[in-house]
Amino acid sequence: MSIRKAFLLLVAGLLFAGTVLAACGNRSGSGGEGGKKKTVTLWAQGSDNVRVMFEKQIENFNKTNKEGYQVKLEFIVTGTGAQSLPDRITAAKKAGQKNTDFDIIEMQGDEVLRYIEAAGEDLFIPIDRSKIPNYSKVKFPATFRDDLVVPYRGTTVTLAYNSETVPNPPKTTEELYQWIKDHPGRFAYNTPGSGGAGGSFVLTSVYNFLPEEAMTSSDPKWKEQWTQGFDLMRELHPYMYKSGGRVVYPNKNQGAIDLLAGKEVDMIPAWADMIISQVRQGAIPSSIKLTQIQPSFTGNTVVLGIPSIGSNPEGAYAFINYMLSPEAQNLALDEMAAIPVIDFAELDPNLTSIISDLKIDKFRVISIGTLQPELYSKWDEEIGTLK
Amino acid sequence: MGNGNRLRQWVMAYSFITPALIITLGVVAYPILNIVMESFKTEDGYGFDHYVYLFTNPIALDNLFYTLYIVIVTVVVAVLAGYGLALFLRFSNSFASKTIGLLYLIPRFIPGLVAVNAMITVIRDSGLINRVSLALFGYDFKPGLMFNEYGIIMMNLWFNIPFATMLILAGLSNIPDSMIESARDVGASRWVLFTKLILPLTMKDSMIAATFIFMTNVGSFTTPYLMGATSPQMIGVSLFVQFNNLNYGYVAALSVVMFLLCAVSAAVYIYTNMRDKAWEKQE
Repeated sequence: MSIRKAFLLLVAGLLFAGTVLAACGNRSGSGGEGGKKKTVTLWAQGSDNVRVMFEKQIENFNKTNKEGYQVKLEFIVTGTGAQSLPDRITAAKKAGQKNTDFDIIEMQGDEVLRYIEAAGEDLFIPIDRSKIPNYSKVKFPATFRDDLVVPYRGTTVTLAYNSETVPNPPKTTEELYQWIKDHPGRFAYNTPGSGGAGGSFVLTSVYNFLPEEAMTSSDPKWKEQWTQGFDLMRELHPYMYKSGGRVVYPNKNQGAIDLLAGKEVDMIPAWADMIISQVRQGAIPSSIKLTQIQPSFTGNTVVLGIPSIGSNPEGAYAFINYMLSPEAQNLALDEMAAIPVIDFAELDPNLTSIISDLKIDKFRVISIGTLQPELYSKWDEEIGTLK
Repeated sequence: MGNGNRLRQWVMAYSFITPALIITLGVVAYPILNIVMESFKTEDGYGFDHYVYLFTNPIALDNLFYTLYIVIVTVVVAVLAGYGLALFLRFSNSFASKTIGLLYLIPRFIPGLVAVNAMITVIRDSGLINRVSLALFGYDFKPGLMFNEYGIIMMNLWFNIPFATMLILAGLSNIPDSMIESARDVGASRWVLFTKLILPLTMKDSMIAATFIFMTNVGSFTTPYLMGATSPQMIGVSLFVQFNNLNYGYVAALSVVMFLLCAVSAAVYIYTNMRDKAWEKQE
């Protein structure tokens, strides 16, 4: 009897210990076993179409690359407190961890600056372009720290409109604001915190009144000059889309797109790639078209960087080189209407016709650091609460 | 025999509970304490700043009352409708009641996001109702149910009425038919039957339903995020928005307040339960 009891206790104890150890051992950032040198982990974030695009790129790369590297994707969806990724990497670096699985980091526009600010100048390996043969094809430099990161696509917010009800879309911001007043309830933008399209509208409304240097400055002194932009948004508020008699700012980029597709509004700010892919999928009517106004909404390059605390820089270079190949650029263009960064002559003409409406020479970049959540917070308090 | 055995039993009992206790302390108690600590962190040290803001700022108060309004309406209507539906399912033998009895739990099996999107497609100003009215009557009828409390309450009811019905039906099924029949035999009218027999016996289940519906809806996010207005907003959405604005202290304070609201509802439930016991004792 007691031997059986002892045996049962031992098994229970081992099971318990085993579960605890298994749970602890699954943490990312802990050392790996042999065979890990072929694994490359890519950390990225954004809307769902970005994730789908990366999964296809990775599938392709894993099958075709000669060195046998296997890329793994770790993806964070927009609006889920994406601050956690910079925090985790900074913490790992400060803890002196090496050989973590932060092999490649995807970053939007100026994020690289914030990473460096938090974790130090040596967070990223300076890019050795000799290891990226395809770099010679790149047309757009990375909008920030070209020496530390490699752009793989561009992205920009544009004005999306219903070409059936708006035969002559506005060409300047002044015309846009006048159009909004002339057509009350036919324009909408999403809350800035829930999606970059509305965010871009809010940022440009404020920063169009400021000198150009302010757009790349995180100096708090510029906050005093935000009032003009906020007065403008307050002035436009009563002319925004209404439902049930009250002005509504939908949540998420998709919320505004749904309003446009349902013909409840005629014009919204929207990410170019979201509109183009959804028209191609037939999810929104083909009467929805894009246009740019002067001064334009914001845009930037999306880049890849190789942290010095990663464990597979060679694999990272191989994947980045692949992302700059015409094959990958065509795939990104096809999959999510991503703006390619290499010479269009190298690409499939059937695909480049998709974005031929967008005249992209350069991206209007905004990089204001912690002022951005502060501006959004101010919007939530002052504009979002207007009756 | 005697003390040795008792001691061994005691050790055995506690060694079985200890792993679960450690895990609960680590996974539940520690994070809660952490949040409470975080809610007191201000720009310069510690203080009640976030709580003061929560209870004096007109917008924060507006959101709080708006949330309570929506949740209380949801609770009351869900429990009343659920009770009615449960009575129908329990005491009616018609084909309708048997069919509904099979179907009414389906909303529980549909993922929340899918259901919300389906509802939005129907009730939005450019949705199914609007298009049908345009096609059939040539009238551009805009339901006006989106981006305000009506759509949110409708969605909440869709989720919660089946749940309330399920709980109350379980309580009603516990009342044996024989008890009902004997009451009818001594001449009790339907109304007396209901108020003196059925209602007191199912009060506990109704209170459980009300408490659960209250607690799960106070922090609800998906429905108000996709169907609600920008302002006033339910505090679940507020939490999300402020978290993304990096106002962690304020978010922690809001979480503590939500926790306290649920604690109040739990206290109400426990109180009613204890009162019931007293009543049972006296009979």
